Amino acid sequence: MAPILEIRNLALGYPSLTLFKHLSIDIEAGTTLAVLGANGSGKSTFVKMLLGLIDPLAGRLAWSAGRPGEIGYLAQLTEFDRRFPIRVRDLAAMGAWRGFGLWSGLGKTGRERVTAALEEAGILDLADRSLHTLSGGQLQRALFARVILQDAPLILLDEPFAAVDQTTEAHLLSIIERWRDEGRAVVLVVHDLSSVLDHCSHALLLGGGTATHGPVDEVLNPDQLVAQGYLSQSQASWMFRRGDQAREQSHA
Amino acid sequence: MLEFFAEMWSFAFMKRAFVVTTVLSASVTPVGAFLVLRRLSLAGEAMAHAITPGIVIGFVTTGLSVISLLVGGLVAGIGVAILTALLARKTILRSDASLASLYLIALAAGIFILSAAGSAVPLKSFLFGSILGIDDASMMLVGGVATVTLASFAVLLRPLIVSTCDPVFFESQTRRPWLVEQGFMLLLVLNLLAAFKTLGTLMAVGLMILPATAARYWTSTITGQLVLGFLFALSSCWIGLTLSYIFPETPSGPAIVLVAGGFFLLSALLGPLGFGARLRKPSKANQPQINQSYTEERTQ
Repeated sequence: MAPILEIRNLALGYPSLTLFKHLSIDIEAGTTLAVLGANGSGKSTFVKMLLGLIDPLAGRLAWSAGRPGEIGYLAQLTEFDRRFPIRVRDLAAMGAWRGFGLWSGLGKTGRERVTAALEEAGILDLADRSLHTLSGGQLQRALFARVILQDAPLILLDEPFAAVDQTTEAHLLSIIERWRDEGRAVVLVVHDLSSVLDHCSHALLLGGGTATHGPVDEVLNPDQLVAQGYLSQSQASWMFRRGDQAREQSHA
Repeated sequence: MLEFFAEMWSFAFMKRAFVVTTVLSASVTPVGAFLVLRRLSLAGEAMAHAITPGIVIGFVTTGLSVISLLVGGLVAGIGVAILTALLARKTILRSDASLASLYLIALAAGIFILSAAGSAVPLKSFLFGSILGIDDASMMLVGGVATVTLASFAVLLRPLIVSTCDPVFFESQTRRPWLVEQGFMLLLVLNLLAAFKTLGTLMAVGLMILPATAARYWTSTITGQLVLGFLFALSSCWIGLTLSYIFPETPSGPAIVLVAGGFFLLSALLGPLGFGARLRKPSKANQPQINQSYTEERTQ
């Protein structure tokens, strides 16, 4: 199957600072790509470049079926105005607003889709609540419902598990798995290695002026993580020793 | 009482003032609501001052006509908006500091030119408005601006809601996100010009911001915000104009804005999203679960 997006020889950064260069990567349908890196390594910049909000310094993007009309997107919670006076139901409906345009109402089908998305995100009981009454985890679920309604072939999630508890994270990961099984490509910026190792097929590690891409097991090895400034030597040794012990116990 | 109102409305200028401010209330309400929601309240105030030199230069050169007001104000408003964006993008200053610097220069320049030209129009009515100055042309201006504003909001409302609530998501959804932002700023300048005759340059933005902030204390929906904002704006205008009639030395601008300020203070005190929520005793249904179990444990 042809990849949704082919990226060739990409360089990303600002006129005075190149974050990384020479990145070539295929984003294929049904894959889950984790983007990792230290603060300032260019993770969010990479996502915004995919959205078309930032131009790359160099390189070429080739969409196999043309740029999709809709790219699913979840921004960091810090960029969101939580005091804005709308209900959870209306926030989720924004995901489908291209479908109903500037004037027309949602219609029966639209309302049913919104209800189904809220139910899948586990917040149907909060549908009529105002945004400012939600916790961080509840708001993240509402934003996931909006991404569900975008119904896009490529989904970009910028730090989706920041400020959510373990139960919410597990629920949101199950939604990501469903997207993957439906043949959508999911790109997610994450900080926590454990969620990446279990749920993502590929990883893109940014840092130290370079970008390394490949299957998760190949990219996220201790030497690579230390070389690109994601972990210190002692953190890497401790983390992977723990991982090996856990695997031995599970085999035994 | 009835005789008082009959006498007040027997004056043509008072009838005009009531009609103009009613239309103006409908026009400035959505602009004010989104100024507040987009956290641009102070930028709106600054913009009101920034258009002063344009209006003054237009007045000094061609007299106080609607065309000179419109052209001078638009040139100054758009000029300041472009300069602010340039300073914020190309220099170390943020947009609030750039706008503050520019509006102070513009306001000072406006007052300086007006005083130096030995204007026939008293400075007080220029800065604070006058209900005596509303002629046919001014009514046409307010009517035209209101029509443009309400028609524009019919198109811009949904994009404005999405871009205000989640700007990065909105940018990812559209190829020309700046159209909404710049269109909104243009509507702001047009409404400031429409409000200028009644409220003056210093008070024009008051009718936008105060009813919107007052409404925000009562409602958690955009519809509620717009409906309540309009009712507060309309009531402020009618009561303010009546006060201005009773006290003839009082300019209409401060009278109207003062009443709007009264609505704001009352709303902050009594509104469910203001201090009102803290003053009310919480009902049993709203008490957190943990308090109930704690109470049960204590009574056992």
